[in-house]
Amino acid sequence: MNESLAVRRDARRFDFRLRGVVGVWLRHYTAFKGGWMIEMTGILIEPVFILAAVAFGIGELVGDVETRGDGVKYAVFVAPGIVVGNAMWHALFECSWGAFRRLQTNRIYDSILAAPVSMRELALGEISWGATRALMTTAAVLAFASVTGLVESPWAVGILGIGILTGFMFGGFGLIAAAIAPSTHMLTLVFTMVGTPLFFFSGTFFPISTLPRWIEPIAWALPLTHPVRIARALATGDLYLSLLWSLLYLVVAGLLFYPIATHLLRRRLLI
Amino acid sequence: MVRAAGLIKKFGAFTAVDGISFEVRRGETFGMLGPNGAGKTSTLRMMSGLSPVTAGELEIDGIDATANPRSVRDVIGVVSQHDGLDPDISVRDNLTVYGFYFGLDRDTARRRADEVLDFFALRARGDDSVDDLSGGMRRRLSIARAFVSRPRLVILDEPTTGLDPASRNRVWEQLAVLKNSGVTVVMSTHYMEEAAILCDRLVIMDEGRVLGAGTPDQLIQDLAGAEAAQVRPEEGRREDVQRQLKDGGHDVSDIGAVFVVHGSDGQRADLSTISGARVTYRAANLEDVFLTLTGRGLRDE
Ligand SMILES: Nc1ncnc2c1ncn2[C@@H]1O[C@H](COP(=O)(O)OP(=O)(O)OP(=O)(O)O)[C@@H](O)[C@H]1O
Ligand SMILES: [Mg+2]
Repeated sequence: MNESLAVRRDARRFDFRLRGVVGVWLRHYTAFKGGWMIEMTGILIEPVFILAAVAFGIGELVGDVETRGDGVKYAVFVAPGIVVGNAMWHALFECSWGAFRRLQTNRIYDSILAAPVSMRELALGEISWGATRALMTTAAVLAFASVTGLVESPWAVGILGIGILTGFMFGGFGLIAAAIAPSTHMLTLVFTMVGTPLFFFSGTFFPISTLPRWIEPIAWALPLTHPVRIARALATGDLYLSLLWSLLYLVVAGLLFYPIATHLLRRRLLI
Repeated sequence: MVRAAGLIKKFGAFTAVDGISFEVRRGETFGMLGPNGAGKTSTLRMMSGLSPVTAGELEIDGIDATANPRSVRDVIGVVSQHDGLDPDISVRDNLTVYGFYFGLDRDTARRRADEVLDFFALRARGDDSVDDLSGGMRRRLSIARAFVSRPRLVILDEPTTGLDPASRNRVWEQLAVLKNSGVTVVMSTHYMEEAAILCDRLVIMDEGRVLGAGTPDQLIQDLAGAEAAQVRPEEGRREDVQRQLKDGGHDVSDIGAVFVVHGSDGQRADLSTISGARVTYRAANLEDVFLTLTGRGLRDE
């Protein structure tokens, strides 16, 4: 009896194993490796089409854009927006649609949780894979943008970090959606009602100041606004102190979504 | 190996497992036989650390499973009712990745995956997609997967439900291999043949309770007698025959087309005086045990 008391006390310790997270991440990496050629179309080719069309097509029709005093060419303005917006899509898709398939359709979570992986670790594995995908696509599109002269400052390397943080935040958000969605139908709403408006109205394609006065504060509250703002500053090398607020927003939202997702998954699966 | 005492599982106000107690010895194959909704899955999920214990005691390999489900999952292998295989990766990777979940490094996980593929004669399908496997093959793979971590206890939930007889035989072979490897097995089933063939000991469950426990032979001997009689009424004599059986004080179960009559004290029931029915005797089985315990068939659905 003494023995089982000892075990009981043991359980109260904060129990987190990195290897659980790594295991889940490696599962995704294994699946990714199996189909990487096709994956590249989503990671590189599709976003490059969008960027090229908007920057070099529409960009030719549009004059310079006012940003903090100086005007920049529209192509230069829009590139960081598309890079980061695309990072959002990848993390969001992976952690909502992809996660829902694993959770509900294929019941893979049940198998993972039957191994000694905790929900906290599983959720972090999912979100970090979302962030990894966001990083991959950020790197790919950013490389294209710099080769085509859309990046003006070496600070732009920092956009890779913003890509990861964006992936972490939207990965967490997507996982929350997956955890509460009753069906893939409902999950579609995440793309149509969240992804799409964020992609277009977060200062990605035009400055927020262009929006009607009353919408402006709403646009500032949107999560994609902040990484876009930081990425744009990094791409143009025009850094200023208030960007730290955006960085704080990004980090705090990510740190908030993750435990909420864990909690909701527990409620759904560990019954 | 496993000790459950007064184990309870509630879903809201509904009690799925209603205070069951049992013990599983090291190295044996232990069965839970019961119809749909008996509480088998609920019990096995609690044992697997996938479902919180509502009340009662549950100890697995010396670990208090109610407080420390993860430590339990370190030492067990789980095969769930649906296979839960990963369709995005190959058969071999399903095993390798499962090793990753247990913290094996890449080389060890790969080596272990190949060992397990060999052990369960699945090597030839290693590079295939899981979706290309037959139902029986999928089930065997999910059993193999539970074996990657060298568990001391393997928990199987209805390992052959939904399989055709040939696949079922293959799975039984595989389970026999498991058993001979010395691992302790706890499995649920609603097939009495399966329980009789594979299990050293078993509990019979219904509506969240344990109705009987013992070796298959012992249960049959004690509860159903050596032989059961099937009484098939002639055309239009059903009610008459039923009355005769009742008046004779027999232990009768009505399973539709026929009445099943069990003897007492291991003796066959004397039905020589029954008229208007054809009486045949056959060896009693676990189905009869369930019948005498509940008055219903195992597969009343
Ligand atoms: N998550 C749940 N919420 C509510 N009720 C549940 C839940 N899971 C199971 N039950 C109920 O608990 C009872 C026992 O279910 P359980 O799945 O343990 O039975 P079982 O013996 O495994 O049956 P089967 O042979 O159909 O697999 C059933 O009445 C079932 O409807
Ligand atoms: Mg079940």
